[in-house]
Amino acid sequence: MGRFVLRRLGLAVLTLWLLATIVFVGAHVLPGDVGRRILGPFAAPEAVATLNHQLGADRPLAAQYWDWLSGAVRGDLGESLSYRVPVSSLLGSAVLNSLKLALVAFVLVVPLGILGGIAAGLFRGRAVDRIVTVGGLSATVVPEFVSGIVLILVFAVQLRWLPVTAQAPAGSGLGTQLRYLILPAIPLVFVLFGYIARITRAGMVEALEADYTRTAVLKGISQRTVIARHVLRNALLPTIAVVATQTGYLIGGLVVIEFIFNYQGLGQLTFQAAQKLDFPLLQGTVMVMGIVFLLTTLVADIGYSLLNPRIRYGRTE
Amino acid sequence: MEELQHRVDKIRAGRTGLDNQLIDELVAGRISRREFIRRGTVLGMSLGVLGFLAAACGGSSTPSSTATSAAGAVRKGGTMTVGIIAPSAAVNPLTVADEGGLAVLGQAGEYLTWSDDKLNLQPVLAESWSPNADGSVWTFKIRQGVTFNNGQPLKAEDVAKTFKTHSDPKGGSSALSAFAGVLKPAGVEVVDDQTVDFNLDAPNGNFPYLVSSDNYNTIILPANYDYAGKYESSFVGTGPWKMTSFKTGAEVVYGKNPSYWQSGSPNLDTVTLKFYADEQPRVLALQGKQLDVVSQFSASTGQPLFNNPGVKVLELRSVAHRQVHMRTDKEPFTDKRVRQAIGLLLDRPALVQGLLNGKGDLGNDSPFAPVFPSTDTSVAQRAKDVEKAKQLLAAAGKSSFTVTLATWNGYEIPLLAQTIKEAVQQVGGTINLNVTNPSTYYGSAVFGKSPWLDSTMGITDYGHRGVPNVFLSAPLTSAGPWNSAHFKNSGYDALVKEYVAAIDVQAQKAASKKIEELLLDESPVLFPYFHFHMSGTQTNVAGVEPTAMGHIRLTKTGFSG
Amino acid sequence: MSAVEEVSAELDARRGRQGRRAARGERWRVLRRSPTFLVGAVIVGFWIVCAAFGGLIETHSPFAVDVLHRFARPSSSHWLGTDELGRDVFSRVIEGARGILVVAPLATAIGTVAGTVIGLVTGYYRGAVDDVLMRVVDAFLAVPAVVLGLLALVAIGPSNITVVVVIGIVFTPIIARTVRAAVLAERELEYVQAARLRNERSPYVMFVEILPNVTAPILVEFTVRLGYAIFTLATLSFLGLGIQPPAPDWGVTIFNNYIYLTGGVWWPTLFPAIAIASLVVVVNLVSDAVTQVFER
Repeated sequence: MGRFVLRRLGLAVLTLWLLATIVFVGAHVLPGDVGRRILGPFAAPEAVATLNHQLGADRPLAAQYWDWLSGAVRGDLGESLSYRVPVSSLLGSAVLNSLKLALVAFVLVVPLGILGGIAAGLFRGRAVDRIVTVGGLSATVVPEFVSGIVLILVFAVQLRWLPVTAQAPAGSGLGTQLRYLILPAIPLVFVLFGYIARITRAGMVEALEADYTRTAVLKGISQRTVIARHVLRNALLPTIAVVATQTGYLIGGLVVIEFIFNYQGLGQLTFQAAQKLDFPLLQGTVMVMGIVFLLTTLVADIGYSLLNPRIRYGRTE
Repeated sequence: MEELQHRVDKIRAGRTGLDNQLIDELVAGRISRREFIRRGTVLGMSLGVLGFLAAACGGSSTPSSTATSAAGAVRKGGTMTVGIIAPSAAVNPLTVADEGGLAVLGQAGEYLTWSDDKLNLQPVLAESWSPNADGSVWTFKIRQGVTFNNGQPLKAEDVAKTFKTHSDPKGGSSALSAFAGVLKPAGVEVVDDQTVDFNLDAPNGNFPYLVSSDNYNTIILPANYDYAGKYESSFVGTGPWKMTSFKTGAEVVYGKNPSYWQSGSPNLDTVTLKFYADEQPRVLALQGKQLDVVSQFSASTGQPLFNNPGVKVLELRSVAHRQVHMRTDKEPFTDKRVRQAIGLLLDRPALVQGLLNGKGDLGNDSPFAPVFPSTDTSVAQRAKDVEKAKQLLAAAGKSSFTVTLATWNGYEIPLLAQTIKEAVQQVGGTINLNVTNPSTYYGSAVFGKSPWLDSTMGITDYGHRGVPNVFLSAPLTSAGPWNSAHFKNSGYDALVKEYVAAIDVQAQKAASKKIEELLLDESPVLFPYFHFHMSGTQTNVAGVEPTAMGHIRLTKTGFSG
Repeated sequence: MSAVEEVSAELDARRGRQGRRAARGERWRVLRRSPTFLVGAVIVGFWIVCAAFGGLIETHSPFAVDVLHRFARPSSSHWLGTDELGRDVFSRVIEGARGILVVAPLATAIGTVAGTVIGLVTGYYRGAVDDVLMRVVDAFLAVPAVVLGLLALVAIGPSNITVVVVIGIVFTPIIARTVRAAVLAERELEYVQAARLRNERSPYVMFVEILPNVTAPILVEFTVRLGYAIFTLATLSFLGLGIQPPAPDWGVTIFNNYIYLTGGVWWPTLFPAIAIASLVVVVNLVSDAVTQVFER
């Protein structure tokens, strides 16, 4: 296990470096001019040149790349070219915000999905099953921007039950923050519910038909206990699998939701960094996304192998 | 009646020749009351005196915009949340170039003068000002008894240092292009503790606008302020608000400035400016009662607010516009008849109705918007005439042509492009649209590296200004840095010089009439319309003073009832 | 290997191929009888017809501005009402099908082809080639589609080509992984050994021998990814990174019109949303059916 983790970590570092290089190259393909982007098209060329010089944007590309890389290795991600504050400070609050949102979404969707999947599996073929399966599928395919917009209009503007934006005023308590995050979390719940329910259902069905269930029932143990002991444990597996495969996709979904709800999270920050050609900030955000993705898949893989004894000692690669 | 006349005479005796010339125009009925007041503020007369003279001597007045919300009975104190466009970069007086940034600058910072919603100039840190005989030197008297929010007293040298920095080619200021050809750092002179002289490169009748809130970078800062430092940590200034917290990308919170020079101001206790990257979430937040004020939205996004009784919409006649340029040195636009024809294909009232929801003024293919006092409105308004267009094209031998139109995908601009494309189809022309994003369209903003300046046809968005000077010179003069039409006409250049140097309204109008007629004839650039500036508030909010520039003055703002 | 063994290996291979072909034929028959597949195929077919023959179905020009009839409710003259410029919503929805139905399959196809090639190469060669290529693949996998869209926007500028490239790049890693896994299994089988012993060149082995036997998972992936492509394309367009105006793309239309919902004008937003949802749902139905049949 230890060697497995180490190897994965090593590969992850390599992947991150590749990612940084790809972003750097991509961001410099088109002749872009940070100073011009900040000062706008109507500013005098001399002013733009002065600003570019102050930002160090007129140095040779190789020098800029080396500076950034050597700093990043030491943990210094440089200064945002447009906001003139350290990238790490912007990243810190943005990641925290996105994490809060993702957490609320998970806390809502995991129990819902598992319960739905269990119900669908227990009452296979009946109305409950149909509702969960079809409902889940339909909810999954609605793009987040559509569900987000509808939710805002119905619950925030018309009914005024919940706030229009996701950002609670500074210094709000946990309860208030939660209230602000419910609406933006729901589109994420929609997207994930179908997958979790479906896989839990499949696990339920498989477990119900398995030999050990029949044996246990014959022995007189109630179905409920059997389910609790064996099935639930197997229900965790698909959840972890879903989390692993959907993380990358979730982060992308955050961009749209944070946009509509005006939320200063990682997605919104990346979007703005790209529009402003703010390379240090853009590289910082993509790095963080990469790290989150790689960490999540690693943890999910470990968790999966721990919980599923069948593959724990299987061949790796 | 005699008493009144006596008072008027007394006032006139104490005024300069220029001022009296202006009063003569008013008495003779050659200018309206509104124009009189506007010109008067430029010359440095106080609004009080102007108002009195206008009432006493003036003739008709023309209707103006539905003002700022009346500062009726407002409760003292309170906390307000205002939604503004997110500043696109660090808030630094040198580099701010966007509406969000300037709205933030205008809270803790103040200018020499304030260009208000009626395009009048109000004294702020300058108590009064006046030109010399030919308008080449302007003298400003600085207000006494003002302190910065860090305790330093305001002195003339602070004012001088501010303007020296912004007019310095090496200063890196976004305002440099405004001062190019008008003022050099050496021209800023401290006469004494209370007086600053601006010695201009050439006579300029509209100079006071260049040191007003229109030139939004020029908030007055202490002479010892380090422009390379971080404005965001200090927000030093003389304004009514003092920054209590600033969060990049999210919001800035202000409290009252206890040492503000206007006693009893500001009204509110706290003001929070929340940043919104896009219009839709801003407008939705107003409707959801999460914001008290929303600073700016376009006619299309604000559509749901217009007939909404729960919201107040503040409308300002602004001169922001779109320029449709046609390169005079490239086919098919080398012949001016072709350019005129394109201008004749536009149904301008329909454009204003359709693209702007009626919230705009018609444009007559020159920078002279109807709302400028120096605009000569006797020049006939160009209207749609497809037959005439066809004749002109035939005479020029261009019954069919193909052109690529470049622009970017914001606001109603793609719709305008589409409309032009369809209009041109009617007469056998083909337009291929190349709609990208602002960074691609503007490129490096220099000739040879910018679709904006290199494309054969394009649409560019221009923001509001208190006077048309910059619109007349930069995009249209032979050496203008924004001359996307590559229009080189020495007659035009001379007329612009004439206009800029003119100090009294009549001389300005004489020049503007000739300019308008020349531009209609040559039509290097089409100005289809000027669109209004709109903000919104809840019904219980009063005293909000937006400007078409994007400022939002909250000194008198409060909750009513 | 002796001549006998050679011949018998060849016979095995041929029987294997024939068997697989027969199995494929049977699968298609099962597919045709599946109700989800049929429903899905019909609706997809409807949209394809709209994309191809939109001009014949549309009642008005999708671009005709009619300022006098803005925000008209759905009626007999404008079946789905008009938008803020008086343009007919029905015609714009039909016209919008073309953009999505050209870009999404094209992008998915590009991703599938690229992914298949990478999967074949890494799965067949393994070793250093596999390690290096898969690391690059992983790097791209870590970046969400929308973020890649932003990067591409910064690098190439917005255009329909950019969108196709972005979605193609997003799908390549996922498909490469699937194909690689399938190839890893196949390469140990006898017919591959036989081919190598016959001294067939590597490209031949990969593309002529192995590829036909991994088409099932590739087909499954293609249909699954197609649904994602439509979804992602709509999202990218909404953010301004996808199909450029003034094309009446559904995502762009929703972005421009959702603000009017509060004023009671629901039709310019609702119908493009239904169009997107319907297309994604039915493509998913089709891919579901295909998955079930081909992964037996």
